[in-house]
Amino acid sequence: MAYTYDRDDEDTLKMAAADFGDHVDTATFSQILEMDEDSHDFSMPLVLNFFEQAEETFEKMDLAVASKDLPELSRLGHFLKGSSATLGFTKIKDSCQIIQQYGSNLNVDGSAEPDEAVCLKKITAALEEVKVDMEALEKKMKKFFESD
Amino acid sequence: MPPDNDPAAQAGNNSSDFVRKLYKMLEDPSYNSVVRWSADGDSFVVLENEKFTKTILPKHFKHSNFASFVRQLNKYDFHKVRHNEESGETPYGRDAWEFRHPEFRADRKDNLDNIRRKAPAPRKPAQAEDAFPATQQIVVLSESLAATQHQIQALQEQYFELAQTNKVLVNEVVSLQKMVRAQSQVSSELITHLNNIEDRRRNSRHSAHSSHSSHSGPSYHATNLGLLPDGADEPAAELRRAREILNGVSPDSQADRELERLSVAYHQNGSPSESASSIMFPQQQQQQPQQQGGGQMALVHDPLNDPRHMVYPVGQTTGIDPFHSDHIHNIPYSRPLSNPNVMAEASQISPPAKDQAGSIWGGKKPQILLVEDDKTCARIGSKFLSNVDCVVDTARNGLEAVDKLNHDSERFDLIFMDIIMPQLDGVSATAMIRMVAPRIPIIAMTSNIRQEDIQTYFQFGMNDVLAKPFTRDGMVRILKKHLSYMLKDPQQQGMSSDDPNQGVGAPGPGPPASSQGYADAPPGMTIATMGAGAQVKFEQTPIQSPTTTASWHSPGQMQQTSPNLDSGGYMSAQIGSGSAGMVLTPGGSQRPQFTNQVAPTMNRMGDGMVGLGDDRPEKRQRLYGPSQGAFVQ
Repeated sequence: MAYTYDRDDEDTLKMAAADFGDHVDTATFSQILEMDEDSHDFSMPLVLNFFEQAEETFEKMDLAVASKDLPELSRLGHFLKGSSATLGFTKIKDSCQIIQQYGSNLNVDGSAEPDEAVCLKKITAALEEVKVDMEALEKKMKKFFESD
Repeated sequence: MPPDNDPAAQAGNNSSDFVRKLYKMLEDPSYNSVVRWSADGDSFVVLENEKFTKTILPKHFKHSNFASFVRQLNKYDFHKVRHNEESGETPYGRDAWEFRHPEFRADRKDNLDNIRRKAPAPRKPAQAEDAFPATQQIVVLSESLAATQHQIQALQEQYFELAQTNKVLVNEVVSLQKMVRAQSQVSSELITHLNNIEDRRRNSRHSAHSSHSSHSGPSYHATNLGLLPDGADEPAAELRRAREILNGVSPDSQADRELERLSVAYHQNGSPSESASSIMFPQQQQQQPQQQGGGQMALVHDPLNDPRHMVYPVGQTTGIDPFHSDHIHNIPYSRPLSNPNVMAEASQISPPAKDQAGSIWGGKKPQILLVEDDKTCARIGSKFLSNVDCVVDTARNGLEAVDKLNHDSERFDLIFMDIIMPQLDGVSATAMIRMVAPRIPIIAMTSNIRQEDIQTYFQFGMNDVLAKPFTRDGMVRILKKHLSYMLKDPQQQGMSSDDPNQGVGAPGPGPPASSQGYADAPPGMTIATMGAGAQVKFEQTPIQSPTTTASWHSPGQMQQTSPNLDSGGYMSAQIGSGSAGMVLTPGGSQRPQFTNQVAPTMNRMGDGMVGLGDDRPEKRQRLYGPSQGAFVQ
């Protein structure tokens, strides 16, 4: 395989242009981009897919909040946390972590939070935040991939 | 015990009151069926245990507890006679208890005074002890207890301080990591820039277009981006190596997340420093260290709410040297401390795999099963694996994985297994897979990297752990480790392109210019910066503050007259006026001066901290030299 860091350089510059800020851990995201062979043939569908997945998860989370189903919220939080962390989407990951923790009646530091109302409130806040972040991230990603 | 054979002197002595009562009881012939002398008169037998306990004991000993009676006998050195040893039969029946004391005989009533309690406090004459009212014994005991409590408290304080210091260090490391990350980004930019200059120079040389070289215009990047070298024109080796090194630094290692977790936990736990207002406490007097001492220092838990503090060993040893090497090396702090080394190691063995010519595998490509319920993660993982020439199959949950293995247990060479999954979790799936494929390496992929969790994974047959979010380099590392037999040539890996990667199992001597350079650089940076930062922070912690030395005893409930008493050892201060029998900790004189005790302590702490990045003496000097001056008077 030919030495291809020219691509990476391009990506680095593009990432800078897309202004990922603290939304994206560029090191993690870079190694996804490194898997691309021709254009962003791997990373782009992956990221777009992630946004679909996130959308679905948010819907399920909304339902779970409505029915005050903490275990389900914890599960969903854990689920989305995994993919967002692997992609390097830091902000999303952090919010998911919060949702997972409070869904298990735990504070972020792991101590118990027996008050269900408090947990739901924290989850609702984190969910609102993660939705906003997701929207911002989606825009940035679009910009990043559209410059192809 | 002093020899005291004069019977007259013992007349008023009630030390053998129990024995006298015992003798008197045996003199009563009406008890014959229950308790009596043996035929030879050299022992006595309790024939009917129950009757004896209910009727005779209350009459003569004011209680009805056979066990206490036996205990009392033991205290006076009576021993139970084992019949089958003596004659092979039991002359008094199965339930009989026969007791003997060499001096206790039916025909030697005058000899009773020679039967004494076994000395509980060997230094004390029996008389003194008898003169000791029970209340005074309680006083002594409670003094001892208070002393112990005091010591525990002091240890807790030391623990708080250590935790505090550790917190500072963790924060420091985290912020330094951020800095390092920024630095490597800057380096990356610089390399790009240099690269472009390099290309430009080469291009102009090749095409003999000397006039084209208008140096460093503002539009430089835009115009030259496309002018990257073609296959025949290799970029400068130094630049390429530099980039490889930068790429090789994977900041998302386990260490990072562990540190992050720590720093988060520390912020949430609040500061224990309120209670940590006293200085190192000079109780390091005991010789016998206890293993649990170190092990029970919880790292992240709030020490005040942590019940484990309550089970601090207070056994035969009332003192403990928490800085004894046995403890200092067993403290869980070593975990974060040792991690930077792991990071450095990882960075050396993580090449961009695609740079390698051809496959890293010998004949057959490894068949990997990736068990992961998350689509995105599964796709990324599969991609990483196929990128290093593995054949990947995926399963969306444990049940699917078990099915695949049941269908063909020989098919896969290695399994990456998520833990939390619907249908069947990874641990259960592993347990089931082990029934058909006992040997295949199964790697847990999880964000739960707590020690207990990892232990569980291993217990259920998993072989290794890949921390989530996983990276390609992490996966490659696992593959090389567990499938080393499939590698084309472990030694040859990476040699071709002169990059710093070697086989995982045996990281051979890397090219000095690259791997060596990197391995040294970040720790050096860390140390240098920390030298300044750490010292400032240290001064905020109470450990080093000389003003607190005078108040070291203040949080205790014990009344200490003066800290000067320390020179004689803390324990002797506690019981200085007490009896001679309360000799608890004879080692106090080993550390005669308070200030001398602080110094070695901090030195040893320093040694531990140096493990962070560098153990070269000159660095240690730089880091710890100045701060010591601040707290040792």
